[in-house]
Amino acid sequence: MTVSTGKVTAAGESARGRERPGPLRRSFGTHWYAWAMVTPVLVVMLVLIGWPLARGVHLSLTDATEANIGRTIGVNVIPASYEFVGLENYARILTSGVFWDKLVWTVVWTAACVALHYGIGLGLAVMLNRRLRFRSVYRVLLILPWAVPAFVAAFIWRYLYNSDYGVINGFLKMAGLGGVGWLDDPTTAKIAVIVVNVWIGVPFMMVALLGGLQSIPAELYEAAEVDGASAWQRFTAITLPGLRQVSSTVVLLGTIWTFNMFPIIFLVTRGGPGSETEILVTYAFREAFTGIRNYSGSAAWGVIILAMLVVLAVGYRRTLRSQGDPW
Amino acid sequence: MSTRTRRRGERGPLASIGLHAGLLLAVAVSLFPVVWLVLTSLKPRDGWLSTELQFFNDSSLDNYARVLTETAFPQWLLNSVLTAGLTMVLGVFLAATTGYAVSRFRFPGHRSVMWLLLITQMFPVAILIVPLYNLMAGLGLLNQIPGLVIAYMTIAVPFCAWMMKSYFDTVPIEIDQAGMVDGLTPFGTFWRVVLPLSRPGIAVTAFYCFMTAWGEVGYATVFMSQEDKRTLGVGLQQFIGQHWSDWGLMTASAVLIAIPAGVVFLLVQRHLITGLTAGATKA
Amino acid sequence: MRRLLPSAAAVAALVLTVSACGGGGGETAAPPAQVSDPSKVSGEVTWWDTTRPDSEGPTFQALIKEFQAKYPQVKVNYVNVPSDQAQNQFQTAAQAGAGAPDVIRSEVAWTSQFASLGYLQPLDGTRAVDRPDDFLPGPLSSTEYNGKTYAVPQVTDTLALIYNKRLLKEAGHEEPPKTIAELKRTALDVKAKTGAAGLALNVDSYFLLPFMYGEGGDLLDVANKKIVVNSPANVKAMETVADLISSGAAPKPATTESYANAMTALKEGKAAMIYNGPWALSEIYQGKEFQDKKNLGIAPVPAGSVKAAAPTGGWNLAIYAGSKNIPAAYEFVRFMTTAEAQAKIAKEISLLPTRTSAYSDPDVQGNPDVAVFKPIMDTAVPRPWIPEGGQLFQPLLEGYQSLVGGKSGPADMLKTVDEQYRGIMKDWS
Repeated sequence: MTVSTGKVTAAGESARGRERPGPLRRSFGTHWYAWAMVTPVLVVMLVLIGWPLARGVHLSLTDATEANIGRTIGVNVIPASYEFVGLENYARILTSGVFWDKLVWTVVWTAACVALHYGIGLGLAVMLNRRLRFRSVYRVLLILPWAVPAFVAAFIWRYLYNSDYGVINGFLKMAGLGGVGWLDDPTTAKIAVIVVNVWIGVPFMMVALLGGLQSIPAELYEAAEVDGASAWQRFTAITLPGLRQVSSTVVLLGTIWTFNMFPIIFLVTRGGPGSETEILVTYAFREAFTGIRNYSGSAAWGVIILAMLVVLAVGYRRTLRSQGDPW
Repeated sequence: MSTRTRRRGERGPLASIGLHAGLLLAVAVSLFPVVWLVLTSLKPRDGWLSTELQFFNDSSLDNYARVLTETAFPQWLLNSVLTAGLTMVLGVFLAATTGYAVSRFRFPGHRSVMWLLLITQMFPVAILIVPLYNLMAGLGLLNQIPGLVIAYMTIAVPFCAWMMKSYFDTVPIEIDQAGMVDGLTPFGTFWRVVLPLSRPGIAVTAFYCFMTAWGEVGYATVFMSQEDKRTLGVGLQQFIGQHWSDWGLMTASAVLIAIPAGVVFLLVQRHLITGLTAGATKA
Repeated sequence: MRRLLPSAAAVAALVLTVSACGGGGGETAAPPAQVSDPSKVSGEVTWWDTTRPDSEGPTFQALIKEFQAKYPQVKVNYVNVPSDQAQNQFQTAAQAGAGAPDVIRSEVAWTSQFASLGYLQPLDGTRAVDRPDDFLPGPLSSTEYNGKTYAVPQVTDTLALIYNKRLLKEAGHEEPPKTIAELKRTALDVKAKTGAAGLALNVDSYFLLPFMYGEGGDLLDVANKKIVVNSPANVKAMETVADLISSGAAPKPATTESYANAMTALKEGKAAMIYNGPWALSEIYQGKEFQDKKNLGIAPVPAGSVKAAAPTGGWNLAIYAGSKNIPAAYEFVRFMTTAEAQAKIAKEISLLPTRTSAYSDPDVQGNPDVAVFKPIMDTAVPRPWIPEGGQLFQPLLEGYQSLVGGKSGPADMLKTVDEQYRGIMKDWS
């Protein structure tokens, strides 16, 4: 066992006493405890994600499909006849126009969803963090969408959007307006899926940010008020910095999740009309999983998506660190 | 508390009206689909698609009776409760230990751990479900609730570990030091001193883990093919087919599903508040 | 993982032309005599059923009870898997060798695909197949792949024109339309005289096929390995569909929830006609317009300029090659596809038998829905039973949606579909 180097790291609390020598430091410095606490998670993750990932990277360099991967089932023997093809799968995907079309829409979808999630979630969290009557009632009601399983929510919304019998068009007709084929036109369909995803995702963001708000010491606000800071100044000078840790986490994770948000689009529009609302991951799924499965193609899609997100995350981390955030 | 703090809670009447109006609007938007769900569940089984917009139409609890007596709903509910409960307990535990370790110990690679966790969220598993299925089959975890729980760990724990780490970062290190001075081991400090102070963080994490497992459909559909092992999400899909759908059953069970989720939230919410008061008295 | 097959997934049809020689088939495939007394077979058979659990499931569960009474040592685990998930789930489980059922109810179009992947047990000369000559040739053709039999036809169906007699009568039409031209006129008359819509279209590839077949078109020419979707006949068919919409004979259909909307319109008397199959009847009878079942008319799909024809669909029973209970599975499949079992299914839930002999059963003849569909089966066209068959629908669906949405014309649409087919069927011309 080695003793912690104790050098100043980018993680925040290091400044908070890690440098102090003494008996504490020695016991803290034994990594054994830390590793024991981290290992179970890492093992599960490495096995359940690492193995499929490694396998995926391997397959993405071949022309493997369900038909040529080789297997013996009872009396049927199918010899493995797939071959190493290098980067052919990647080249095919990256040179196809469809990929870039879907990428643009995926980026728009992700940016719109995350911005709305965060904006609305923060707004509601700040309101709920005030002292007001019925606060816990509001809180429960606002969190309710989270309690509806995503696939049920997708079906409800599809029904609300229904062009002939939907509730939304029902109200429009009552108001003397014509109905809208919400899911039949590419533009409205895109707006429609974003709305569904925002509806589903805001409660999570709100709860996360509320947790963050509540960890901000009340004394800071009191001190600011003594100094005569306005509400807006308190918000920008205390609330936002206080939420920084939580925010940077939820925004990054929200981006990753939204980028790969499979069920909403799959269940609400099935990618339609045409394939207009299909994001990269649903498109890849359909390409690879309709009929005889294309394992190599799907793996290549997966690796490309992973690579894009890794680049995004690294860039995000750099930005945060350059702004002095201890990441 | 000084009078100033009390003044902070005060607002002009206009601000109060604005605050309530904003929240009411948000509540309306968030509730409307849910209300519609409840209304639909009270309609006759084919009342959901009708050329006329009706709020009520022969309201009755027939659909609920059918769900509870004619389907395997109770079995699914049991499986879901077990799965979500286990996911919650295990998820909170793993997330807390990991988050704590990364928050407090400067072991080699402590930052890579968090980034590694993040990367596991980036791979679109929908696409790689086949290797994952083969892996579960190889481990003998198909049609096993623990297998499903382990799969849910991969979804829930990375985020929860990040949350817990952020939360632990806000707990002053002096508290740990005090524990150590009292002769507790690092585990003991974590378990007896830090965890009890972290209830709000744990509450959010627990709720998140529970909801992840409660509403998940993708893994559950593929991994739990036996009828008696199905969870609610899988079972519910039987009510909606391509060329037919029983919205009565679907909506009634969706409402029933939302109830335990609401109960968990209420439980957690109380802890959220106690956690807060503890924080306040501590200060 | 919903709906990897378009609505085709629930369908089927049959061709009765051969029924003449069917009855005398006798015991041509004498079962191998490994089992002296079949009722002594033991084992556990897991069956993935894809029927509606509420309305159709109980009939099959009752059949299972009968089976277990006859084969006391076989335990049947009934698992209901939604039809739009079963294909995907079976593929996942079958390739892993774990978690797959012993017997699966396989849609006609899946069978050749599963067989080509080595998932299915060849059944030629086994006890699973009893009197193969008795099966209708259309459904039977779907069980074959590379000259071997991989499944046994269970039920079959096709599309028909389903209409509201009252609305047609009010519009001055006693008889249902026999051609597309008549369809358009009838629909416009209904619209003018009753205010209801004439024809409710369902934007789905499978429901486009009758228009194509009617003009003499098709998707593929299997014998010559040719992609023929972009043919003048199909362009004409697409123009017909576009004309039905633009003329007002059919209101512009929704492209999402298209099926449910069309069905609701029919059920509530807001539309007079719809293309659909026998599986839809029980739902239609729940509609307020059809409380009196006699108000519902069923007729062959209207003819195009060449013929009247609709696609063959249906479901087969297939055995997983990796099953550890193959002898028991043989007996189970055999039992579930006897003429008696099919007659029971036809009588109780109106699913159409695949055995010629079942149609002479008084129970079957006494079911008006089955009786009325029987002549319609004459128009059914078997689809190309090739492993890639299931992949053909999505491009066509996207094309249909863009046609309806006015994003592309009939010729452009088929050109796009043709290009996508060439990506799927690489060595076809």
